[in-house]
Amino acid sequence: MTRQMTTTATPVGRPTAAAGRPRRRFAALSPSWLFAAPALVVYAAVVLYPSLAGMLYAFTDWSGIGADKSFVGLANFQTLLHDEQAMDSIGNTLLLTVAIVVVQNGVGLLLALGVHAKLKSRALLRVIFFAPVVVSPVMVAFLWKYIYNPDPSAGLNGLLGLQIDWLGDPSLALWSIAATVVWQYAGYSMVIFLAGLEGVPRELHEAAMIDGAGTLQRFRYVTWPLLAPALTINLMLSTIGGLKLFDQVFAATNGGPGYATETLSTVLYKQAFVFGKFGYSTAIALVLALFVAAVSLVQVYYLRGREVAQ
Amino acid sequence: MTELRDARLSRVQFFRMMGGLAVAAAATACSTKTQSTGSTGQGQASAVELRFVGVADQKAPMDELVAAYKQAKPGVTLATSFAPTDQVQTSLRTQLGAGNAPDVHVVYPGSGSAMSMTQIAGAGLLADLSDQAWTQTIPTGFKPAFQKDGKTYIYSAGSSVIGAIYNKKVFQEAGIDAPPTTWTEFLAVCDKLKKAGKTPIALGAQTPWVTQLITYALVPSTVYAKDPTFDDKQAAGQTSFAKSGWREAMEMYLELQKRGFFNDKPNGTTFEQQISMVATGKAAMAIQVSAVLPDFRKSAGNPDDLSMFPVPGADDAAQVWIPAGVVVGLGAAAKGKNLAEAKAFIDFLGKQENINRWAKAIAAIPLTQDASSSIDPAVQSFLPFTKDKAVPFMDQRWPNAEVQPVHFAVIQDLLAGKIKIDEALQKMDEAYAK
Repeated sequence: MTRQMTTTATPVGRPTAAAGRPRRRFAALSPSWLFAAPALVVYAAVVLYPSLAGMLYAFTDWSGIGADKSFVGLANFQTLLHDEQAMDSIGNTLLLTVAIVVVQNGVGLLLALGVHAKLKSRALLRVIFFAPVVVSPVMVAFLWKYIYNPDPSAGLNGLLGLQIDWLGDPSLALWSIAATVVWQYAGYSMVIFLAGLEGVPRELHEAAMIDGAGTLQRFRYVTWPLLAPALTINLMLSTIGGLKLFDQVFAATNGGPGYATETLSTVLYKQAFVFGKFGYSTAIALVLALFVAAVSLVQVYYLRGREVAQ
Repeated sequence: MTELRDARLSRVQFFRMMGGLAVAAAATACSTKTQSTGSTGQGQASAVELRFVGVADQKAPMDELVAAYKQAKPGVTLATSFAPTDQVQTSLRTQLGAGNAPDVHVVYPGSGSAMSMTQIAGAGLLADLSDQAWTQTIPTGFKPAFQKDGKTYIYSAGSSVIGAIYNKKVFQEAGIDAPPTTWTEFLAVCDKLKKAGKTPIALGAQTPWVTQLITYALVPSTVYAKDPTFDDKQAAGQTSFAKSGWREAMEMYLELQKRGFFNDKPNGTTFEQQISMVATGKAAMAIQVSAVLPDFRKSAGNPDDLSMFPVPGADDAAQVWIPAGVVVGLGAAAKGKNLAEAKAFIDFLGKQENINRWAKAIAAIPLTQDASSSIDPAVQSFLPFTKDKAVPFMDQRWPNAEVQPVHFAVIQDLLAGKIKIDEALQKMDEAYAK
């Protein structure tokens, strides 16, 4: 089994029949490119062009409606630097991201280890833990709004005998939202870790056991290093998800109470659609996109290095 | 397998295949287009479908009036869709920006919102309705809500008021015979209700727009009763939120909280929970806009248990003023393909009988009245004020769309004890100056 998997995973050379053909002068016109061409054209028209054209608005004062707009240079970016609300929202976004990345992946890993063990009901458990992932984030937020009812006799308070204002207390609301995100996406991390666990060769565990390693030692020195690719993917996906979190916040608190749960995404949404400052909003979006890209690149660089090191 | 892998597709064959597909696709598209032109263009000239996008509050009156219009003009159909304000604001602004706005769509009166008449008409996207007969009868006090530079751009069926929606049964059980008419009486009533074991005022401050209603209910008495020209002075920079009766209104708001007259944890309570508390008699009242009275009635066991009274924001009954604002309306897209039909529909809505029907569906006071106009009994107690002791909802005169959301946020922060009134008013003044 293991040997086969390793073989398939290694890049295999092209079929010799193709390599023997002496017609490689125009690589762009090769059938593989031609087959990809329609999709690439659609991608360029639907994603690339609008994104690049959209960026130009970041340098204008367009209101989002009407034809009036003028070029304002870097003024929108200067405004962003002095915008207290946007700066606070960056803090909230980072806190949310860190909380989500750490807890979601921690819980996801524990769930993966749990359902990877030889349990009778593990197939059912896998489905149950993964189920929230397929629900729309807005639905999840509305569902949790009911669960977070501040009434001591209702929802989570009623269940646990508490009197907590989950979404109404400014010092707690951000963490309540983080909890709903973790609840929804821990199953997603679980599936990726599970795939990683399935790829850990049994022989290595057997060898470690013969050498006298206990369960914890085997996890630390065998499983954990081999989970590195799964960890890279999980950390990257949850970081990107956390940094651009919008739906759950918007549906649960709309950035409130006050500005306690405002994230960069809700701020840019409000600037565009509530305040009518489309140009400024695009500038925020551009900064957010560059920031997400930078963080992801650093993460991949660092984590890939860790994978290679093994 | 080997034969398949060797089977070659020459470049010429590939392009032929792709070309064939493209021709086929184009032919299909053209034939579809011809069909659609044939059925509408050549057939009956009047077979028009108008698109309408509105907010949820407009569904009840629109359903009724669209059905009536179909009877009056069978050739025109209206495809309507409704959604909560946030969603409509997002999708409509995108459509307006892209130049494919629906023929008729929701518009907010005055200025102060990104979907307000002033902002959309300012961008040249609303059709001028001034040539329609009903626009000649708009009461003078309401003109700023309907008109920009003397031209009317929005239709609205009338005005709604902000006051206390109360459960009469709960009041009676607590031994309260008549609604209060002064601030001191109001506090005494709340006290009595609290002692009777009821929540005096249900507040769903987690829903942003609900946060503003108590200040809106008090400010007419604390600001405008003393200086009816406040808006003009504020616009001229002669006064501000911080220097005016806004401070007093916020102090009164927080006094209600300090005395324990609100439900526990208002920032975690939603509008829907607020409705349920009053409708089920758990709370005695909610300070709300009359347009949502039908929602409260739907949730109540007996709709007649619910009524409204003006919130007395002053200790001298003669100094009590009320907020009465033009209800959310609609306008026609200036560049719409069916502009003439869209305007004809609005003209139909402007007939007195239709103004009456719209107003009745949302418990509003009709824009203009005749013998057949009916006014909801719940808002009768506001009528003595509407002539000279009423002011439009404050945001309708604010210069930009930022002041209102800042107002929501500072109220939530005040309720959470996170900021003081000084800071709240300063933030509002800063937003106003933007």
